[in-house]
Amino acid sequence: MSIEIKGVNKKFGDFVALDDVNVSLPTGQLTALLGPSGGGKSTLLRIIAGLDSADTGTISIEGTNATELPPQKRNVGFVFQHYAVFKHMTVAKNVAFGLEIRKRPKAEVAEKVDELLRLVHLSQFAHRLPSQLSGGQRQRMALARALAVEPTVLLLDEPFGALDAKVRKELRDWLRRLHDEVHVTTVFVTHDQEEAMEVADEIVVINEGRVEQVGTPDQLYDEPANDFVMGFLGEITTLNGVMLRPHDVHISLTPQLPGAAEGTISRLLRVGFEVRATVLTDDGDEVTVVLTRTHARQLGLETGVRVWVTAASGALTMPSLSVAR
Amino acid sequence: MASAVAVGGRPARKRRSASSGSLTRGSAFGLGVSMIWFSLLVLIPLSAIIVKAAGGGLSTFTDVLTNDNTRAALGLTVVSSLIITAINMVMGTIIAWVLVRDRFPGKGLLDLIIDIPFAMPTIVAGLVLLSLYGPESPIGVEVNSTRWAVLLAIAFVTLPFVVRTVQPVLEELDTDVEDAAASLGATRFTTFRRVVLPSLVPAIFAGAALSFARGISEYGALVLISGNLPRKTEVVSVRLFSFLEGGNTEAAAAVATIMLLVALLAIVALDVIQRRVARRG
Repeated sequence: MSIEIKGVNKKFGDFVALDDVNVSLPTGQLTALLGPSGGGKSTLLRIIAGLDSADTGTISIEGTNATELPPQKRNVGFVFQHYAVFKHMTVAKNVAFGLEIRKRPKAEVAEKVDELLRLVHLSQFAHRLPSQLSGGQRQRMALARALAVEPTVLLLDEPFGALDAKVRKELRDWLRRLHDEVHVTTVFVTHDQEEAMEVADEIVVINEGRVEQVGTPDQLYDEPANDFVMGFLGEITTLNGVMLRPHDVHISLTPQLPGAAEGTISRLLRVGFEVRATVLTDDGDEVTVVLTRTHARQLGLETGVRVWVTAASGALTMPSLSVAR
Repeated sequence: MASAVAVGGRPARKRRSASSGSLTRGSAFGLGVSMIWFSLLVLIPLSAIIVKAAGGGLSTFTDVLTNDNTRAALGLTVVSSLIITAINMVMGTIIAWVLVRDRFPGKGLLDLIIDIPFAMPTIVAGLVLLSLYGPESPIGVEVNSTRWAVLLAIAFVTLPFVVRTVQPVLEELDTDVEDAAASLGATRFTTFRRVVLPSLVPAIFAGAALSFARGISEYGALVLISGNLPRKTEVVSVRLFSFLEGGNTEAAAAVATIMLLVALLAIVALDVIQRRVARRG
């Protein structure tokens, strides 16, 4: 295990940011810390990097106890949400910073900077200032800067949070490919479950300072440990006292399956190929159903039509004790 | 913050070039009012001084400049102001750092007190200095009628300038940048020198320009404690006043014009140095 976090607690005044967190993050993998804003995931990342210190508990990185080490000695690469560029230095100088601090020979620095700029596709911008780059380019530069010192672990704090949707998506794919090339143990913080599921090998779900579940994206989606994880990883709706995903609701114009609830379609919304129907059951539930445009047309769904809804066979359901989110 | 940097560069230039061709009615009015106001208050009186000085012919200038007392006063004023400005650049930055980054009891009070040398009438400042460092000094430090007194008085009145120009820049500075440097292996000192200081340089030099300008023009704080001994502690403003008292208005105007040049030179020089330092980064 590359990063071992044991019994970490952190308070800011009365606010409990982390509550007895124990996690092991595997070597060479891409791990996502996923959770809502203010849940403590960024704090945990900063504690791993040594930028914040835990009140209690220990952090070890690749077998070395790093709890008392200052950030300079942890050999950790850190990428910030708002890039944290050195704005008076050129792109090449930014990337070279860590190597120059280590007093590496000039030729070696130049070669390494060249190689990294090629890796992040910024070679032609080497002599520009960061203010002349777009957000996505700046974040790639920050990533090259962090990778320059050959860190044991790479930590990214909401790395794509400040970018627009299209660039986010591109960088996300790019980060995955980069990780497959470089293989450095990587931990990134995100509140976007889609981002986490698409990019990460493993996801740690953190909420209100506690680890809710650790697992692969499939494990989390198919076997959520509790209603919070289920609700956070995808949309949910409630039907007959159970929670399930809206696309797992079976809808028909006649009572086909036993136990189906009868209701009326109160709203139909089409988003591209998807149709979202809101069904008001006679028991008073408001059920959201998601189906494809084609399927909806086959059934002839309209507002006001009487329908029967029930969980499709093989659907993941969970008793609805409390309503998540 | 990051997005502000992104828009900082080009659009601003575009806006300027668009307005240079033709003025809108609003901006034409604004420009007109500013120019009239500026001319009434600054340009016309300044030209009057220069005209007055020129009226005496070149000989007035050569007389003034060959006069030992005047030369000594000019030298003392400029050198003292330069020394204090250099000290202010260091001390002001440290004080601003302490005010922004550290937490200690009485910080709010200190923040308030910083402005007092600037806010109080300078003659009162002179009185305060005289009572503390004068002949009956309660702390046993007597510097009146020495060049130390000149330095002390200039240092006293120019203290706030660098502090107040650096402070807001420091407050706006993104601490992420320092964290980034730390995680790349930079010590606190290296981080300060290579990452923080370059961002502060323009503000430090802006404060230095103000501080120097105030230093060479100081009268009230100096007149009581310096003793005004010719060729020893007499500064230009005091010299100028004695020219006026003696009815030699041409000489006074000539000295004024020289000081005007010195101030102009200093501001241009500081601007050039600041640009060079900022570029080197």
